[in-house]
Amino acid sequence: MSTARAARGLLLIGAFAALVSRAGAQDPRASLRLDAPSKAALAAVIDSARAQGLPTEPLTEKIYEGLGKGADGPRIVAAVRMLVQDMTNAQRALGTVASSDEIKAAASAVHAGVPAVELGKMKKRSGLRRSLTLPFTVVADMVSRGVPVGTAVDAVRSLVGAGAKDKDINEFQRNVKEDIQQGASPAAAAETRAKTAGGTKPDGELDR
Amino acid sequence: MAEWGRTTLEMIVEELQRPVRFDQSFDRRLMVRVRRLYREQRKRRGWLGAAASITRHPAWAAALAASLIGMVTFGVIRVRQGERVVATNGLEPVQFVLVAPAARSVAVVGDFNNWGFGDSALVATNHHGVWSVTAPVRAGVHRYAFVVNGKQWMADPNAPHSSSDDFGMPSSALVVEDSTK
Repeated sequence: MSTARAARGLLLIGAFAALVSRAGAQDPRASLRLDAPSKAALAAVIDSARAQGLPTEPLTEKIYEGLGKGADGPRIVAAVRMLVQDMTNAQRALGTVASSDEIKAAASAVHAGVPAVELGKMKKRSGLRRSLTLPFTVVADMVSRGVPVGTAVDAVRSLVGAGAKDKDINEFQRNVKEDIQQGASPAAAAETRAKTAGGTKPDGELDR
Repeated sequence: MAEWGRTTLEMIVEELQRPVRFDQSFDRRLMVRVRRLYREQRKRRGWLGAAASITRHPAWAAALAASLIGMVTFGVIRVRQGERVVATNGLEPVQFVLVAPAARSVAVVGDFNNWGFGDSALVATNHHGVWSVTAPVRAGVHRYAFVVNGKQWMADPNAPHSSSDDFGMPSSALVVEDSTK
C-alpha cells in the first residue's frame, strides 16, 4: 500500500469524522445573545444539575427555547431554575430507574401542578420495563385542559394499570381533547373516556 | 464402433482429459502479460483506479467498513425500507401538519432543532392550505411549536399541550417512539 494511497484514505475518513462532529455541534451564536451574568448563572445551574445526576440536555433545550422566543437573560435563568426544581422533584419521586425522558415528561406534569409523589406511585405500579414518558405527558396535557389533577392522574393510572399501550393512551388523549372542544366538562370527558379506553372494561372495571 | 472394447465416445473423453504440456517459461510469460494489462488499465482510469484496489487489502477493507459503520451510527447514512424511512440511530421520521389556509409561511421549531436558532427552523410546504414537513426526530419526549408568517407562535392543535414554562408562548408535546425497540 503506497503512502499516497494511505494519505488519501485517511483524508477521506477525517472528512467524515469532521462532518459527523459538525452535525452534533451546538450553535456558538447562542452564547453571544446572553449577557455575562446570565451566562454565569446558567453555567452554575447546569453544573449543579449535573452534580445531582439530572439530565442536562433539557436545560440546554430550555435556553435555546428562551433565545428562540426572544426572552432576555434573567427570564431564561428563571425558567431554567424552575425546570431544575421540577426535574429534581420528579427524579426523587420516580427513583433511579427512571429514564431521562421520563424525568423530563414528569417535570412537565409537576409544572402543571401534579404532585410528584403521584407520578412516583404510578411508576412503582407500572414496573420497570414500562416507560411512562407518554402517560406523564398526557397527564400534563389533561391538567392544562382543565381536568382536575386527581381525575387526570386516576384516569391515566387506571389505563396504565390495565395494560393500555401508548397508542391507546394517545387515543384517549385525543378523545378527551375533542370532547372538551365540543363543550364537555373536562372532568366528565376524562372519567368517561377512561372507562372504555385501552382494553378497560365499561363501568370502570379494569382488566388486571 | 469399438476398438479393444472401447466406444468412440470414451476415446474422445480420454483425449480431452489428456494433460497439455506447456514449456517451462509459460507461467512466467503469463504473469508478465497480466501485470502489463493491469498497469495499462490503471493508467487509463487514473486516480480512481486506486479505489478499486482499496477493498482488496484487508486494512483498507477494515477502514472502509469502520467508516460506513460510523456514518450509519451517526445518521449520515440512513437505511430506506419500502416507503418508510427507518433511522438507524434513534431518529424517527415525524410529519408535522398544520391546516392554515390563510398563512403565507409556516415553520416548525422545537427542542429537536434548537428552537429555530441559527436558521434551523423546518420550513413547511403548502398543499392547498395544508402545511406539512417531515423531519427525523430523536426518539423521546419533545416540545415544539409552529411559527406562522414568521412571527406568530402557535401550538399544534392536534397534539398534547406542553405545560412547561413557555416564555409566554404556547408549545406542544411530542413523544417519539423508537421503532427499533
